[in-house]
Amino acid sequence: MKVKYLKIFGALIAFSTTIYAVLAFTNCYLTPIYFDIPKGWPKPHYNFSKNPLTEEGFQLGRALFYDPILSKDNTISCSSCHLQQTGFTHVDHQLSHGIDGEIGNRNSLSLQNLAWSKHFMWDGGINHIDMQALAPITSKIEMNETLENVVSKLQKEQKYQYLFQKAYRVKKITGQLTLKALSQFVISLTSANSKYDKVIRNEEQFTDMEQKGYTLFKQNCASCHIEPLFSNEKFKYNGLEIDATLNDFGRIKITQNPKDSLKFKVPTLRNIQFTFPYMHDGRFKTLNEVVKHYNSLKQNSYLPKELTKPMNLSDDDRTDLVAFMKTLTDKEFLSNPRFSFPRE
Amino acid sequence: MQKNYRYQSNKKVIRKTIIVVFLFVFGLSFAQNQKDSLHLKFNLIWKNEPLKLNKIYASKSDTLQLTILKFYVSAIAINYTDESTYNQKNSYHLIDIEDVNSLAIPVCKKLNKAISKITFCIGVDSLASVSGALSGDLDATKGMYWAWQSGFINMKIEGNSTSCKTRKNEFQFHIGGYLKPNYAIRTVEFLINQDNLITPIALELPINVDLATFFNSIQLSETNAIMIPGKKAMEIASLTTKMFSIE
Repeated sequence: MKVKYLKIFGALIAFSTTIYAVLAFTNCYLTPIYFDIPKGWPKPHYNFSKNPLTEEGFQLGRALFYDPILSKDNTISCSSCHLQQTGFTHVDHQLSHGIDGEIGNRNSLSLQNLAWSKHFMWDGGINHIDMQALAPITSKIEMNETLENVVSKLQKEQKYQYLFQKAYRVKKITGQLTLKALSQFVISLTSANSKYDKVIRNEEQFTDMEQKGYTLFKQNCASCHIEPLFSNEKFKYNGLEIDATLNDFGRIKITQNPKDSLKFKVPTLRNIQFTFPYMHDGRFKTLNEVVKHYNSLKQNSYLPKELTKPMNLSDDDRTDLVAFMKTLTDKEFLSNPRFSFPRE
Repeated sequence: MQKNYRYQSNKKVIRKTIIVVFLFVFGLSFAQNQKDSLHLKFNLIWKNEPLKLNKIYASKSDTLQLTILKFYVSAIAINYTDESTYNQKNSYHLIDIEDVNSLAIPVCKKLNKAISKITFCIGVDSLASVSGALSGDLDATKGMYWAWQSGFINMKIEGNSTSCKTRKNEFQFHIGGYLKPNYAIRTVEFLINQDNLITPIALELPINVDLATFFNSIQLSETNAIMIPGKKAMEIASLTTKMFSIE
């Protein structure tokens, strides 16, 4: 009798050891990705320990990003408004449009270097990249879907059963894992190989015009568009008059603080050449118009101190400044097949 | 049966026994956990009767019916008369009138000592509100997370009343907000009167949640839609604490 119990006990131990061994072994199938921090850049804000990057997670996120399954009628994907070739934004549309041709009230932001961002959206309403996708998914005029329904649609697809199993070793798909997988993809969109970056790394040189433009940039723009990310992650009023058809007062909607009226996120200038039209409501078509706006600002007491000094740029100065901004184009990023539509 | 048994080789029998024993032990540990736990049992009521969705109730100033009632209970803590304390770890629970199982929260192993105080929060704290995608009751599929502005909805009360001059006479309270000064989480604390002490034998601590108390303190003609964090949400959040009482 006692021997039998011993046997059972021994078998139990052997059984659990095997289970742990198998678990450890399946772990080996995950391919960790080392997140590259470009030289001289600050520490990313994103907490990778809560969502360790893996090749499997990245590919799952990529599949989700390009799949219209996220929308109610399966017509709109993230890439509908965030196209790679234009720095992952909705080019040529002042206001981005979504499901059933509905028009939003803002110009979609570009997606790049998000690992360094603390808050998202023009008004900073989203406090974590994981939760960002929830906004377009549930917006009545973007994807008009619920996360609950997205998850149940994914659960029915063999492809996603396989991909979730591979990335997270689960059979049951959850909202948390769906959002974290999307984060794995968007957080990996690093743009750090523009001409500007190459000049900083002493691999290339600016032309005269670009160099003059860079000097002007540092004098007039760099206090908000701080290098190397070209944003200070803050919210500023930049002198734009309110568009009475939209009545969008920006950050005040989030903080309810009157001081935040008409303040919007300082966007990055990386790949700015291709992310037109510009400003939160896409009111300027060209970089020239943007520079003109700042160059002819009417002073008022609400302007931040960074914009109180008149720029007084000549026509040549403006051309030089735009020439510099074009050195922020990262062709490799805009055409990197790793970030493009996944063709099986 | 006898034949069958003989047919199986000794090895097979052992293997079977092992599996059965394993499952039994495994199952037992779970069952014990649930059975011996002290539960917080939320009784959703309207005055003295169990609350039902889509039933017509009359408050001081309105007649109304409810269609949705969900709220978070978090940070459950139990104080005992011997001054020891139990704080539940990772304590976030979504109470949903439509999910009977959600109404009883297993808290801790029942101890044979008297409880002096029960504390919990209504809502989700600011740390969890800035921690990205979470799992379980905090999973965003539960529909208790705001999309356009991050943060949990601490409490969702929806329904309709002819007093509301809104679309389909609907009222909607989505109460939340994690940013100061509009941090809408609320703490509820019950000191246990030692005269009618909750006997340590009880496995359930019944907590009444009386919606009549809430609707008696508002007028639906004036207050019928709160969907964003702010001053109004703060006021309503404070009112909701009055619904909770202990027998």
